[in-house]
Amino acid sequence: MSAICQYAGTVAATVKRDAAVFLSYRTRFVTQILAMLITITMFYYVSKLVRPGVVGPDGKYFAYVVVGIVALAVLTAALNTAQLIRMELLAGTFERIVISPIGPVGGVVALMAFPVLYAIGLAGVMLIVAASVFGFPIHLAGVPAALVVSAVAASAFTCIGILFAAGVLAFKAAMSPTWVIAAFSILGGIYFPLRLIPGWIRWFSDVQPFTPAVDLLRHLLLGTPAVQPVEAEMLKLLGFTVLLMPVAVMVLTLAVSTSRRRGTLIEY
Amino acid sequence: MLRDVDLDLPGGTATCITGRNGAGKTTLLRIATGILAPDRGIVTIDGISAPGRWREYHRRIGFLSAGDRGLYARVTVKGHLEHWSALALIPRGQRKQLVAEAVDRFGLTQLTGRRADRLSQGQRQRLRLALALVHRPKVLLLDEPRNSLDADGQEMLSAAMTDVLRRGGAVLCCAPAGDEKLDGFDRVAVIEDGMLRFV
Repeated sequence: MSAICQYAGTVAATVKRDAAVFLSYRTRFVTQILAMLITITMFYYVSKLVRPGVVGPDGKYFAYVVVGIVALAVLTAALNTAQLIRMELLAGTFERIVISPIGPVGGVVALMAFPVLYAIGLAGVMLIVAASVFGFPIHLAGVPAALVVSAVAASAFTCIGILFAAGVLAFKAAMSPTWVIAAFSILGGIYFPLRLIPGWIRWFSDVQPFTPAVDLLRHLLLGTPAVQPVEAEMLKLLGFTVLLMPVAVMVLTLAVSTSRRRGTLIEY
Repeated sequence: MLRDVDLDLPGGTATCITGRNGAGKTTLLRIATGILAPDRGIVTIDGISAPGRWREYHRRIGFLSAGDRGLYARVTVKGHLEHWSALALIPRGQRKQLVAEAVDRFGLTQLTGRRADRLSQGQRQRLRLALALVHRPKVLLLDEPRNSLDADGQEMLSAAMTDVLRRGGAVLCCAPAGDEKLDGFDRVAVIEDGMLRFV
């Protein structure tokens, strides 16, 4: 218990530091809000072109796509941690994390906290803006459960981010997650329902946590029927998280020990 | 690069290792920190090895790497020390006091609110030393610590090393060959052809 409290303290300290760095760039928040507004505006008008009934009742496409986009933003934040690790390696600050008592594995996980939490916060702002300006039909009764789903989903996405971080430590390549994000956006049902894509590739939606997370969030935030039974979707999401976490930590630990043996742990 | 290195650092002693560029001084320190795994052999502090008990091992060491890297450009001096004291698992109740001591020890009082990218090279080095020492390590590993330090900074470094030794700790410092300031060390060794030889 004491070890968990100590580790929570290091995560909190890392979040505080990253928040300080973030706030030191005064225009960053403003530009992100602007980008978000432009994205919402664009999809607001695109939604007027979408044939009614494709994703639900008339006018629902906007709500459908906004939920997908906010979920993708959290996934993107988790996957971009690999780039953060690379920046830490370049700056020589990763060495300090490595020699700290929490070690490289604990340090990498702590590094992911701020970006993921920030992405969740920004997603909330995006939903509020979409509701207040563009009439996004938010289902208030589902918000508390949606927060729980977001937390579980963020944990699952973090595991995928850890795998990418392990890749950076092991291979030193600036592995851009762009292609993975693009794949999730197509095969995870962000912009269009999965039933529109060919059946031979639809299996992908069953082997990753993103699709059930988005389905659940849509169901909870919009009050629309879930694609599959809610309990099954929630179990699937939890299952992915529970399975992915030890695998991700194990892969990261392996990447660290291999790099220590090769002498490349703090190389970039 | 290193062969058959057998080095014991008794408590209360300061050891300096010299050698030409590329001799293996930094490699030796990186092995001691656990950043590198040796091909053979083991490094222990109080019978604890890094791979076996990472947390306990690293609580005992303070490390200053060569150069001036390892700082977050836009984080203040105080921010660095507070963050590191959390990473070093200093109990919350002691952090404030230890950070204040480190700030005072390395003459950073006027600079606590200044960002790292606005510090001079010497001030950066003093901050890096403060980070290596804030958690009161038992073994202090220093790689070319006098880089960019003025006379005051070098005195602060000496005082900090003396403090570690007084607490029963050990200091291992690497300096390039030709560095004439080897007084203050109990032992001096040279790395040549991968071998460690005391002089």
